[in-house]
Amino acid sequence: MLKEIYHNLTTLRFALMVILLPVLFMVNALIYSLGGDGYTTQINDYNRRVTENRKHIVEYADQSLAELALIGPGELPKRPSRLIFCAGGVDEVVSRSIKMRSDGTISRGRGVADEDYKWRIPLKLAYKVESAGTTPTRRVKINWVFIGVLMSFFAILFTFDAIAEERSRGTLSLMMSNTVSRGQVLLGKYLGAFVTLMVPLIVSILMNLLIIVLSRNIPFGSSEWLRILGMVGLFALLVSIFIFLGLFFSSRVSNAITSLVWLLLTWVFLAFVFPSLLGTFVGNLNPIPSVDEISMRRRAQLDQIDDEWREVDDEWREEATPKLKKAPSIEYPSRTRAWAEYFTAIGDTEKQIADQHIDQQLRQVQLARDLTQISPIATFQYAMEGLANTSIVGYVDFVKQARRYRQTFIDFVKTEDQGDPESLHIYPVREGLSQKPVNPDAVPVFEERISYRSVLTQVGLLVLFNLLFFIMAQVSFLMSEVK
Amino acid sequence: MANLWFVIQREFVSNVLTSRFMIGFIVCLLSTAVAVFVQVDDYEKRLAGYNTAVREAETAAQKWNLYSKIKPQAHRKPNPLGIFNVGTENFGANTVTVELGKPVFELSLPIGGGAPAQKRGSDNPFLEMFLTVDVVFIFKIVLSALAILFAYNTISGEREDGTLKLVLSNAIPRDTIVLGKYLGGMLSLFPIVLMSLIVALIIALSSRVTAFDGNDIAHIVLIFAVSLLYVSTWYLLGLLLSIWTKTAATTLILSMFIWVMLTSVHSNIVAFAVEKLPPYKSNPESAALQSTPDVWDQFKRERDAYIKQRGYEKITHPITWEPKTISTGTGKSTGSGGYYFVESYSIISVDRADTSIFQELLGYQEQLRVEYANKVEAILNKPAEERERNAKFADMLSRISFADTYDFAIGTITGTDRQRYNDFIQNARAYKREIVEYLKDKEAFSSRAWFSDDKGAAELTDLPVFQHQRLSLSESLSRASVDVLILVAWNIVLFMTAYVSFLRYDMS
Repeated sequence: MLKEIYHNLTTLRFALMVILLPVLFMVNALIYSLGGDGYTTQINDYNRRVTENRKHIVEYADQSLAELALIGPGELPKRPSRLIFCAGGVDEVVSRSIKMRSDGTISRGRGVADEDYKWRIPLKLAYKVESAGTTPTRRVKINWVFIGVLMSFFAILFTFDAIAEERSRGTLSLMMSNTVSRGQVLLGKYLGAFVTLMVPLIVSILMNLLIIVLSRNIPFGSSEWLRILGMVGLFALLVSIFIFLGLFFSSRVSNAITSLVWLLLTWVFLAFVFPSLLGTFVGNLNPIPSVDEISMRRRAQLDQIDDEWREVDDEWREEATPKLKKAPSIEYPSRTRAWAEYFTAIGDTEKQIADQHIDQQLRQVQLARDLTQISPIATFQYAMEGLANTSIVGYVDFVKQARRYRQTFIDFVKTEDQGDPESLHIYPVREGLSQKPVNPDAVPVFEERISYRSVLTQVGLLVLFNLLFFIMAQVSFLMSEVK
Repeated sequence: MANLWFVIQREFVSNVLTSRFMIGFIVCLLSTAVAVFVQVDDYEKRLAGYNTAVREAETAAQKWNLYSKIKPQAHRKPNPLGIFNVGTENFGANTVTVELGKPVFELSLPIGGGAPAQKRGSDNPFLEMFLTVDVVFIFKIVLSALAILFAYNTISGEREDGTLKLVLSNAIPRDTIVLGKYLGGMLSLFPIVLMSLIVALIIALSSRVTAFDGNDIAHIVLIFAVSLLYVSTWYLLGLLLSIWTKTAATTLILSMFIWVMLTSVHSNIVAFAVEKLPPYKSNPESAALQSTPDVWDQFKRERDAYIKQRGYEKITHPITWEPKTISTGTGKSTGSGGYYFVESYSIISVDRADTSIFQELLGYQEQLRVEYANKVEAILNKPAEERERNAKFADMLSRISFADTYDFAIGTITGTDRQRYNDFIQNARAYKREIVEYLKDKEAFSSRAWFSDDKGAAELTDLPVFQHQRLSLSESLSRASVDVLILVAWNIVLFMTAYVSFLRYDMS
């Protein structure tokens, strides 16, 4: 093994790696600790939103519970990840907030006698998932994931000739004639390559972290250090996979160069072509309704509800009085109840369409993601994103929590309303709810809980890949002819 | 000549018979096929969205009865060549709405009151986490790697095998060997490029909606030529390194290293450097937005001066107007800045009133309003212009890598580059001027149909329609000429260096 390390150290590829790795890690640290789209900008934006939201809640809570209940708690921003420099994930693609407030007042509806009555449709969750990217160029981001892709490339470069070269030089038979067993030879080769690859990597990572910590723009807690440690582990798993792959090809093929050619083609395919291509391909195989279709469907359903409740200008039904002829008021509970039914119908439709739309989008992208995990590089990427909390699974979690919060908020309004004897307890009409101000501190606050459990699947997959390629390399080496 | 042919043949045969040729061929064909399949689908969606938008605009246009109410739209038509190179097709505004008092501009920060240039929503933005792969991307990444795999052992490999000595000891001159090896390698890469493009074309044509005309086909041929040039650059680089290094493995490692740097690392570092140290600095967009209300105040002053000069300020006419600036509402950064200016007319019993004074005033002020909107446009456009200048500078630096040069060249040829997108915005502005001219010719500003249709609605049958022509082959070629010339220059330099190096090659 020492012989292997020594041999590796003196090669050109090692020199190239030792130059490239620190440069990339330093560029990465500079981009994300000082660059415009780094953590600082994001956390400032997040804090601004949180304070604005707080102001919003206080403002409406001071007015009355009814006002707050209808307008909603405002915007729920997703906390930016401190480790976005490791893996950008979905956080670099879509905007990180969910709007949870009513879209404003409507007044002077047709068929309502009190023409000046202004009402508010109750809050809904609006998922603003328009793309956040503004640059039209295809650009690979220099983050840790990208460096991981390069590490897999270097792993190939260090192993393609491990066995084939010795075989063609004749040293393999010399080694075999010693008392060293084949398994030990393979293990030595593996460990030699592993150490040569991991030591520069870890040194570069330390340089990267040093810059980031010194720049003081990204605060690091114990959780961050732990996750970084986990990421180093992921690097090790990925590198190990490609070392085994390299050893496998190297022992299969008689010529070192042929093995390198095979490995490179495999690598280009696994790293560049396969994940992206398969991802978009699956996305297209599993079509979801377009934005235009969904907005048309929404319009149609809302029109239908409107017709049902407020129909007046229909010639044949001139006799029939619309259900919502008079504005709701505290004195007339039955009238208020009719309005509540109308609002609930609208609210349910809006909720159903918006929730269904984002569910479809998320399902589509998750399916694509699951299938691309056939490539270990893609699996590595998703695990990194999982640890950085920028993965699609994290986003799904965020959406789920926002929905749970919606329910918590509505429950809060209802229980608070029960405490007011003057209220009609009719949700969601302003006149049917308590008109008294509510203590803003009592309003539940949206708190995001982050789970890293999804990473375990990817770690398991990476270990499985390791085992598979280890067995392949082992069997292929044991069965290979020395000459 | 016979010697040359012999070397070409030998090189070609030794390439084609290897596994890398077969694998390369299959990988290229398969990935091209899948990429085109995906892109055709994407194009169909874009086209459907475009058609819907155009239809809706036509329906809306039928309801226009007043000259002041018209809001013609400029729609960006999807480019069928986007199937080969997506470029800016999914980026930026698709629709620009022309309103006389509104400037046409683009800002990167969101803006209230409905920005004039708008983008249609994407069906699933989450899918953007996957890189967009199109034919040009595959060529840029996979074909270049393939070219290196074909070239790395041309000289150093033969040297290791010992065959180089034998070849050189023949009567074949060294220049013939270099030329022969180059042509032989290119000959084996040629069918891969050709077949990939043909497969791409067949899949694209099998879709119902894609229709390529002669101009498009000519452009595709041009894409083919430039791609060959690009592949040739990589092949020559591999050949040169093969001459310079002693073993084939070293050649391959070195050239793959350069490959990674040029295809993915270089442009990122450039983009970062330009972002951090922009050569052209501008005021922030919010500052530009904040200065616009002053311009509109000036407009109001000028108009009031006119009213005073004409002695109309004391006349109470039957029509009142309520001028208001629309605030931008982008939070605290812009404050109460207004970027456009609208007036609503409350008309009191028009049919009995004499509106001639009002018409005269409108005839004066509406043209003035357009002029002031243009002034605001110039102010608001500054940040975008600066961004564009910085982006151009970054492009210049990216061109050091011929992989990026290739990207730019193809983008220009397919008409999906940033410049072509800027053309669209410029054309939309020209369209607005055209509309203004049209209204002037009709004397619409001072006509009664500007604000009331009681004595005949506005006559709009010959309202100009927005045109955004695709470029002809010669125009595309002249735009792409710089990039193509850079590629040619790389080829010449690399070939000459390889040639000279091989002539002075020391066998020992």
